[in-house]
Amino acid sequence: MSTGQLIDQTAGPRAATSSARRPAGSPRRPTSLRTRRARSFYVFTGPWVLGFLVLTVFPLGYALWLSFTNADGLSDNARFVGLDNYREVLSDPATLDSLWRTGVFTAITVPLTIAAGLLLAVLVNQPIRARGLFRTLLYLPAVVPPVGAALTFKLIFDRDSGAANGALDAAGINGITWLVDPYARYVLIALTVWAVGNGMIISLAGLQDIPRELSEAARVDGASPWQSFTRITLPLLSPVIFFQVITGIIGSLQTFMPLLIALNPTPAGVTAVPESNYFYMIHVFAQYFANGRYGYASALLWVLFAIICVVTFVIFKLSKGAVFYSVEPEPTKRKARTIGGGR
Amino acid sequence: MSVFSRRTVVYMILTAVLVLMLSPFGWLVITALKDASELRALPIHWWPHEPTLGNFDQALTLFDYLGYARNSLTISTLYAVLVTLASAWAGYGFARLEAPGKKAVFGVLLSTMMLPGVITLIPTYLMFAKLHLVNTYMPWVLWGLSGAPYLIFLFRQFFTNMPKELEEAAIVDGCGQVRIFWRIFLPQSWPVMATSFILSFSWTWGDYIAPALLLDDARTTLAVKLATGYTNEHGAQLSNLVAAGAVMYVVPVLALFLIMQRGFISGISTSGLK
Repeated sequence: MSTGQLIDQTAGPRAATSSARRPAGSPRRPTSLRTRRARSFYVFTGPWVLGFLVLTVFPLGYALWLSFTNADGLSDNARFVGLDNYREVLSDPATLDSLWRTGVFTAITVPLTIAAGLLLAVLVNQPIRARGLFRTLLYLPAVVPPVGAALTFKLIFDRDSGAANGALDAAGINGITWLVDPYARYVLIALTVWAVGNGMIISLAGLQDIPRELSEAARVDGASPWQSFTRITLPLLSPVIFFQVITGIIGSLQTFMPLLIALNPTPAGVTAVPESNYFYMIHVFAQYFANGRYGYASALLWVLFAIICVVTFVIFKLSKGAVFYSVEPEPTKRKARTIGGGR
Repeated sequence: MSVFSRRTVVYMILTAVLVLMLSPFGWLVITALKDASELRALPIHWWPHEPTLGNFDQALTLFDYLGYARNSLTISTLYAVLVTLASAWAGYGFARLEAPGKKAVFGVLLSTMMLPGVITLIPTYLMFAKLHLVNTYMPWVLWGLSGAPYLIFLFRQFFTNMPKELEEAAIVDGCGQVRIFWRIFLPQSWPVMATSFILSFSWTWGDYIAPALLLDDARTTLAVKLATGYTNEHGAQLSNLVAAGAVMYVVPVLALFLIMQRGFISGISTSGLK
């Protein structure tokens, strides 16, 4: 940043205003106010920067260092092992399987959730009575804390006392042991899609930003509702959808909830997870807790981090041209709803 | 479209989806009202023949439910208060002050919103263990004090839109930036503070991994205990107690949301996107 840019729209005129109002006897130089504002900026943003360095950058670096060692948390003499851990990541079938499973789950749930959220958003954007009530109630499942949601689905899909098998029984179909392979994956997909309200609200906000005149003009020109939706609404909504794709993928690759749908959700019980829900993050925690392999778990985390960076980058590149920014000049940004919360 | 009007079709779809979406809540409550023997009834009882509130008593006493609820409340309140104030503090800096490097720092802030939270969890645990902060609430204090990028962004958006005159008048009166923030800007931002408090409170109330990693059995939160606490001596899950415990865990959050929903939904849908 050059010095010329420092005199910006906010600091510049204000400095002029206050020096103009200052009594003639006061000899303060005009730069002093700017310097003080700069100092204030560092005072105000410093705590976050410090927190970011200590609580994010340092742990990332720490994990990177650990990933080149055979640290196990027991003995202090962790030995440098070079790329051994990374070599193992590429050759460990459990790692590759869990990564593949996580990827497939992401490829299914992210588009499904976005499409369902968009459909609901279009519906609750119609001029119908009580649409505020519909919006609120459809959003409600997204408010349920993850553990509460997981336990609820565990009850619904319980083999003996669950509503799912009760309904099958009433229809004359034999009950299914849902929480084991291969059905556990469907329970997890249902649980994930249940929180569709988040996507609905974001898409709804996007829909409401689209000027009504556009679709009205299209109708006058003889466009069908479907044409108007695909040619006008969808392109204008593309930044909102793009945002959901990015945050959805990042969140989905970190999925951890299957642990709670498994039978023994204690760290020691991670291996009791049904195989179809044995996800990458579960593999990380299994290596970490059950096997005490801090070094290998750290390598796994760094690989996931790298994958997320690459995927995000590729989507950014691919979406150029497909994402259409007309109203807003920059992509919309919002915190993903991740398990880790707002850190 | 010939038999039904378009509006009727919309109502029918929405009602069907709504019934499907809300039915898990119904099943949770029904399960919570069933006696242990009725839970095993075949064919299944869609409505408990002898509804009982005894599960709630047992759910409260099988382990120290209220004690764990207090842990959750303490951590969530501590984090929510600190992170709201810290985020307002940083948001003010990004909105109203200028300095070399501001653009770069703000860029980093925005990109950390994309940073996957789970990645740093294990090294963070090891770091806190070395500092002897495991099994204390200090990690939440530290996380709170540094603010959360998303909330900083919310406050920044709000403060950016406030009139310049407010600040100018205060500067003429000799106020420093800290006092301008504390006396003028912060009190004006109560809608954002409320949104920030509720969001951060529910993040922590709902968080499972961090307390499971950082706190021992006595100090952990309700979320963790709820997932593991209701088993009999053979390790089998006591479903009716799980349901009762989950109802008491989820209902306060839902109630808070329903009370605040008007501001909350508009806050979520608009402020983060504009």
